[in-house]
Amino acid sequence: MKIPSIISFLALSATFAQAAPDRVATVKTTVNGMVCSFCAQGILAHFKKHPAVSNVHVDLTRKIVLLEERKGKSITEEEITGHIKKSGFEPVKVERVKETFEQAKAG
Amino acid sequence: MHRPVPLQPSSQFTTPERLKTISISIILAATAAAHPVAFEGAYQLMFGSTGDVQNIEFYRSYSAQTAWGLHAMRFEDDEDEIFTGLQHNWLLKRWNLPSAQANLYAGLGAGLAGDVGNGSSPAGIGFFRADYETRRVYTAFDAKWVESADVSRGVFSAAAGIAPYKAEFDQLNTWLILQAEHVTGMEDKLDILPKVRFFKGPYFLELGSTLRGKPVVNFMIHF
Repeated sequence: MKIPSIISFLALSATFAQAAPDRVATVKTTVNGMVCSFCAQGILAHFKKHPAVSNVHVDLTRKIVLLEERKGKSITEEEITGHIKKSGFEPVKVERVKETFEQAKAG
Repeated sequence: MHRPVPLQPSSQFTTPERLKTISISIILAATAAAHPVAFEGAYQLMFGSTGDVQNIEFYRSYSAQTAWGLHAMRFEDDEDEIFTGLQHNWLLKRWNLPSAQANLYAGLGAGLAGDVGNGSSPAGIGFFRADYETRRVYTAFDAKWVESADVSRGVFSAAAGIAPYKAEFDQLNTWLILQAEHVTGMEDKLDILPKVRFFKGPYFLELGSTLRGKPVVNFMIHF
């Protein structure tokens, strides 16, 4: 009885590990409607509260929001699009990029 | 509801009256900078003065399309008229375009309005707003009505502006704006208000003057 339980536990752990990778990831979201920094304050406010997000950058010229995930934590695409919509904007594309947050920020 | 102090020559003011008048002037402060609905969960405080009309508005946006809160308006004419009440605002439609945003807003409210010192009666307020903005161009149209047994006012304004430079998210934004405003029942049919708009982070400030020399001040904050 114990062996199947251990196997189940290991399988479950592996699933969670996949969902929350043990590395810092950068997520880039293209957003429509971001033309005014005063109006886009909600984006900052919403993502700063998210426990999986350690850093947020809004780039009005490139029309993107960059998120840095905390090590071992992950924010889902649904959460990202939900927060963008709650801030009053239209998410167009969410992608995980290979660059570090600072590299992606520098463009 | 507080009782505003009628305007008097400053020499007749006692210190408490002067302080009260200053407080009311600060508290009852503008319309064309209005941001009726912010992001979900936001509180927004707006106050200011455009010529003969002063506003203070405090709203809670409980979604990205809806907000409710308090609104006070003062019409400074031969007799000062004040409205205070509760108001609900709707973002009717937003167009989020790659390099622009356009919005239609409306609001309805109820409260009390009257001449200062002559009591007040039940009143209604309503507004409609349309705006279009890119990072370099701004246009807006506002229409607002206050109606009660003693007070009947409409405030109509149109504004257009340009940003001399494209500011990034963390930078100070500067706009040069020209606004035309008409308040029904006022002596001057049309006020022209050149003003400069600054915003950075959650802070927003407009400074200007009417062509008659009356100062224009608008302030907003989100938190």
